[in-house]
Amino acid sequence: MTTRLLQLVLRTESDVFVARQRAREVAAAVGLERQDQVRLATALSEVGRTLFTDRGGPPATGAEVWFGVDDGTLHVEVVAIGPTQAQQLPSLGRLVDSLTIDDGPTTTVVRMSRRIPVGAQLDQAGLDRIRAELAASAPRTPLDEMAEQNEQLLSALEETRAHRDELARLNAELEETNRGVMALYNQLSDELEETNRGVVALYAELDERSAQLRAASEAKTRFLANVSHELRAPVTAVIGLARLLDDPESDPLTEDQSRQVGLIRGSAADLLRLVNDLLDLAKAESGTIQPEWSDVDLGAVFSQLRGTVRALAVPSVELVVVDPGPATIRSDEVLLAQVLRNLLHNGLKFTVDGEVRMTASRVDEDWLIQVTDTGVGIAPELHDRIFEEFYQVPGRSPTGAPGTGLGLPYARRLVTLLGGTLTVASEPGAGSTFTVRLPAGGDGTP
Amino acid sequence: MDRVPVLKIGDLLLVSIQVDMQDQTALALQEDLAERIVATGCHGVIIDITALDIVDSFVGRMLSSIASISRVLDAETVVVGMRPAVAITLVELGLSLDGIRTALNVERGIELLAQAREPETPDDLGIDLDLDRFGPATS
Repeated sequence: MTTRLLQLVLRTESDVFVARQRAREVAAAVGLERQDQVRLATALSEVGRTLFTDRGGPPATGAEVWFGVDDGTLHVEVVAIGPTQAQQLPSLGRLVDSLTIDDGPTTTVVRMSRRIPVGAQLDQAGLDRIRAELAASAPRTPLDEMAEQNEQLLSALEETRAHRDELARLNAELEETNRGVMALYNQLSDELEETNRGVVALYAELDERSAQLRAASEAKTRFLANVSHELRAPVTAVIGLARLLDDPESDPLTEDQSRQVGLIRGSAADLLRLVNDLLDLAKAESGTIQPEWSDVDLGAVFSQLRGTVRALAVPSVELVVVDPGPATIRSDEVLLAQVLRNLLHNGLKFTVDGEVRMTASRVDEDWLIQVTDTGVGIAPELHDRIFEEFYQVPGRSPTGAPGTGLGLPYARRLVTLLGGTLTVASEPGAGSTFTVRLPAGGDGTP
Repeated sequence: MDRVPVLKIGDLLLVSIQVDMQDQTALALQEDLAERIVATGCHGVIIDITALDIVDSFVGRMLSSIASISRVLDAETVVVGMRPAVAITLVELGLSLDGIRTALNVERGIELLAQAREPETPDDLGIDLDLDRFGPATS
């Protein structure tokens, strides 16, 4: 049987040169003489060239060449893919020992053989060795390399395609995530917008409420002003008429009548004071009071107050007005005196025993005027309420002096008008301290 | 595509074929050589095939046609350096290389051409090597 030694693939005419070179190597390996090597190579060259030329017919598109050894003979078999080529094959003369050509419709098979001289070592081991050597020395044609590169290129392309698919998939996922995020974002946006709308609506409502409150406050002020104004005339009339009744010039009254008229006058006077207070407060609130700024001598104000307020003090209470020395403040003298008088009245009203003291001190750019009493004091939770209109601390004034609950609110209004603050510090049973803090330079306006 | 160089040496053109000849190479060589003959006016062409192990019918036909073309262009062609094995194979293949003069080596070839340039003597035929003589000489 034939032992195959080498297989070659021919694609183009240039492969024929490789094939005939290999044929020489195979021939040399199996022990053919030099001349026979050339003969075999030339014969293969003839066959190969004929197959790949287009003379007399289309060239073969490819061919396979087998080298084999069988029974002391070297066989070469060429299988060409292509239509009939047999007629074109030249006569190979004495180059080979035998030549057979099988011509088929699609392939042409050419078999050649050359006898190997006796004496060559051609046992199976020797042939295996020859085959291994031939395989090791196989030349690489550019076409082979190109085919390999082509394959590599194809695999690289495949890989690239896979990469691209992967990328596309990732992209799709990302897009989906993106859509999710966008949806979430939109939802959040909507919710936020809704909340926003709610807040805006709330704001509008608050605004409206505020406006309503302001309007109500203005209405109240207007009402107070009107009512007070309307009340004052009748009250003054009552007072005047009562005085007329009491007048020594008029008809004498009985003692009872005289006392009753005195009561009428006292009540009317109370009423008038209340009405006046209300009117003052209403004026202050409506903003119709405009301070008349001037340089005020605090000492003068204090001594005047000392004189006018002392008469109200009960004997057990000492009124102390500390002379502030030379001190001027830019303020409205009338309003300032009103504030301080109110505070002194308030202190005297709630003090049975001890003293009511008024002091003035300069702190930085401000004047602090403090009115301290040793009266009943005020619980901390009521500190804010005493500045509300008509509020009076429960329990009657210990001195029995009447009040309207308008003095402190009015005083605070005026202090605010003058650019300052009025605060209170007090503990029940430990007296109270009202502090007026006024800027020494007024409210800044000339 | 490989090209075979054509060298000018004195009055001669020397072509040394070192590569396996393909169709294209052979055609290109024919054209190159013809142009060089016309351009240089040389009357002799030496083709050195020392490097060729295998000469098949294709190369034989190519050499024949080159010789014919050169002769038409008034230049003699001598093929030199043919190996014995090649010669034997050519003969066994049935190729006679008609119209081609041969010489053993380049030196002999130059001499042969120089003689040919002498006043035309009828001993041309005697110089023509009969290739058949190689066959029995080495086998």
